[in-house]
Amino acid sequence: MFDIAALGSQFFVGLSRSMILFIVTAGLSFVLGVLRVPNIAHGSLYMIGAFSAYSITKLVPGATGFWLALLIAPLVVALVSLIAERALFCHLYQREHLMLLLFTFALSLILGDLVKFTWGAEYKSIMAPKLFDGSVSILGASIPRYNFFLLIIGPLVAVGLWLFTNKTKLGKIARAAAVDREMVGAVGINVSWVFAFAFVFGCFMAGLGGALMAPTISISLGIDHNLIIEGFLIVTIGGLGNMWGALIGSLIFGLSQAFGVLFWPQFAIVFPYTAVVIVLLLRPKGLLKSVW
Amino acid sequence: MSKSKFSGIVLFGLVVTLSLMMLPALSEARNIKVGIIDTYSGPPAVFGNDALNGFKMAVEEINKEGVLGGKIEFTTRDEKFKPDVAMSMAKELVMKENVDVLVGTINSGAALAVSEAVAKTEKVPFIVWISKSEKITGELGHRYVFSCAENTAMAGKAGGVGLAKKPYKKYWIAGEDYEYGHAIADAAWRYLKAAKPDVEKIGESWWKIGESDLVPNLTAISAAKPDAVIFCTGGTGMTNCIKQINATGFSKNIHCWFHTAIDHAVLKPLGAEAPEGISGTIQYLFYYPQTPENKAFVEAFQKAYGNPPGFPAFNAYITGKMIAGAYKKAGKIDKEKFIDALEGLKVASPAGGMVEMRACDHQVIYPMHFGITKKLPQYDFVTASDLVTLTGDDVMPKCEDVLKTRKK
Repeated sequence: MFDIAALGSQFFVGLSRSMILFIVTAGLSFVLGVLRVPNIAHGSLYMIGAFSAYSITKLVPGATGFWLALLIAPLVVALVSLIAERALFCHLYQREHLMLLLFTFALSLILGDLVKFTWGAEYKSIMAPKLFDGSVSILGASIPRYNFFLLIIGPLVAVGLWLFTNKTKLGKIARAAAVDREMVGAVGINVSWVFAFAFVFGCFMAGLGGALMAPTISISLGIDHNLIIEGFLIVTIGGLGNMWGALIGSLIFGLSQAFGVLFWPQFAIVFPYTAVVIVLLLRPKGLLKSVW
Repeated sequence: MSKSKFSGIVLFGLVVTLSLMMLPALSEARNIKVGIIDTYSGPPAVFGNDALNGFKMAVEEINKEGVLGGKIEFTTRDEKFKPDVAMSMAKELVMKENVDVLVGTINSGAALAVSEAVAKTEKVPFIVWISKSEKITGELGHRYVFSCAENTAMAGKAGGVGLAKKPYKKYWIAGEDYEYGHAIADAAWRYLKAAKPDVEKIGESWWKIGESDLVPNLTAISAAKPDAVIFCTGGTGMTNCIKQINATGFSKNIHCWFHTAIDHAVLKPLGAEAPEGISGTIQYLFYYPQTPENKAFVEAFQKAYGNPPGFPAFNAYITGKMIAGAYKKAGKIDKEKFIDALEGLKVASPAGGMVEMRACDHQVIYPMHFGITKKLPQYDFVTASDLVTLTGDDVMPKCEDVLKTRKK
């Protein structure tokens, strides 16, 4: 019924969608794992990343602006999160999860209004550089060039994350803190700053995801809510706090969505969620080992 | 009692009686209170703000000479795109603020909730200005609800009539899975099929509202090879969809129609990257027709608010003029008399000509423009060209058809 070109193009666009989801949820999962904070404001930070990217490309037009945005927008988000961590979060880590959930929800509303205050309610849009603009025809199916770029960036980020958590001292400490924070403190490491770093690092990923997504969407208020729901589903099916679980979760989510719209377009909405239900029925704690 | 004392009491009594008799006349000259419930946060805020600006401009003009000796004053509430919040805010405006007229909402669900639970039960006139569900003045219409927005039946009919003139046969329907999306899809398909019976619907796809990545949907639709697609999205979802249509090169082989695709709130953010050749329908464009009235309206609006008026501003401006016009015609501040006066009322359109509030179903009559997106040298964003204007008679569903839906 469906030709190879249609199946191939759905696989391809689904895979590139998964890459963005992975970058954002890896950060969410990292914060969950190390700090035990279910950060609902993660989506708002993604939104700030996208809006910052818009401002940077307005200041510096052309391809240079795009590359600068990819670099600076996540740093802007990191700065915002550093302020939030030192002023608010660092006093709250000992609270129960429900409190943290409510607190981060409140923060997401505040950040949402701050975005409206700073950038206004109008929709924004930025262009991908000429290199990634337009589409390429593969076996008769036309695919946006930008999706190729996402497919290159995604694995690069994954490798970078692996190197960071396994090969650097800071990464190892953060992983250790995720398993046993008292022990990390007992060997003389300043846990407070490890936590601050872990939080900022996780939020940096949200900003990077937002900046990468910016050229493909209409940048508007509300893009945070949509993403954060998907984000939590992904980290749940992957295994809470497990970054590689976030990768697998993103792939399941992105691909089931892409094939769902090909096979059963009227009811495509339910596909990724059905996949989530099936995974949770079979493995209630997620696919990979949860650190919780 | 001495005579002078007696006449003193009589005189005092006379003064009191006279002043009491004067009171109702004095109280007539009070201000008219309008309660606005709309979305001022989240993605729809861009339309909510535009409507509010249009209304403010009308009110400023009206208040220069006043209405029935008073002025129009208004108060706003942000319902955050939530029908339940809109309903409780409308109640609060009626009970505590004692508003004379309720106005607002971009969310069709909110409009229907306010219409049923507040306007109808409390007998307070409610004028809808952005929400487009045809149920508002159709199936669920009643004496106390009016619409100054074009509804999905009008938009769908305009799209259907416009598309019927094109050579396309195989259609796909795609959109956001909510009231507006389905309503516009049903209406467009109904009227297209009626105008051109040999069209065929080969499939439908629906995605959740707010979905950011539509590329998988677009590639899946193009695999089915339709001639044209009826897209049923609104606001930021539409900007998103058009952007991704451009990125995938979707519209090179497949014609795309959206209601309000030629709205500048949708096209402007995309700048020069919006695709050409997409068709759309809308009741107001700030650059068409270039009547002296429209030029003056756009210039004044631009000066006051820094950007040209969109269709919400146009609807809301007319709403303001309708409110003032109806009170003048009614001659007093009375809700029932206001409704009688508003039925069939005609006010000057800021685009030129007159606009009528149809008496039979309380739906405003607007002509609709059908156009194709094109880059023109005088604008730094894509605008509509090849514009064809369908008259109010062309796009309005018949009174008896609308009233039939109410009797069920």
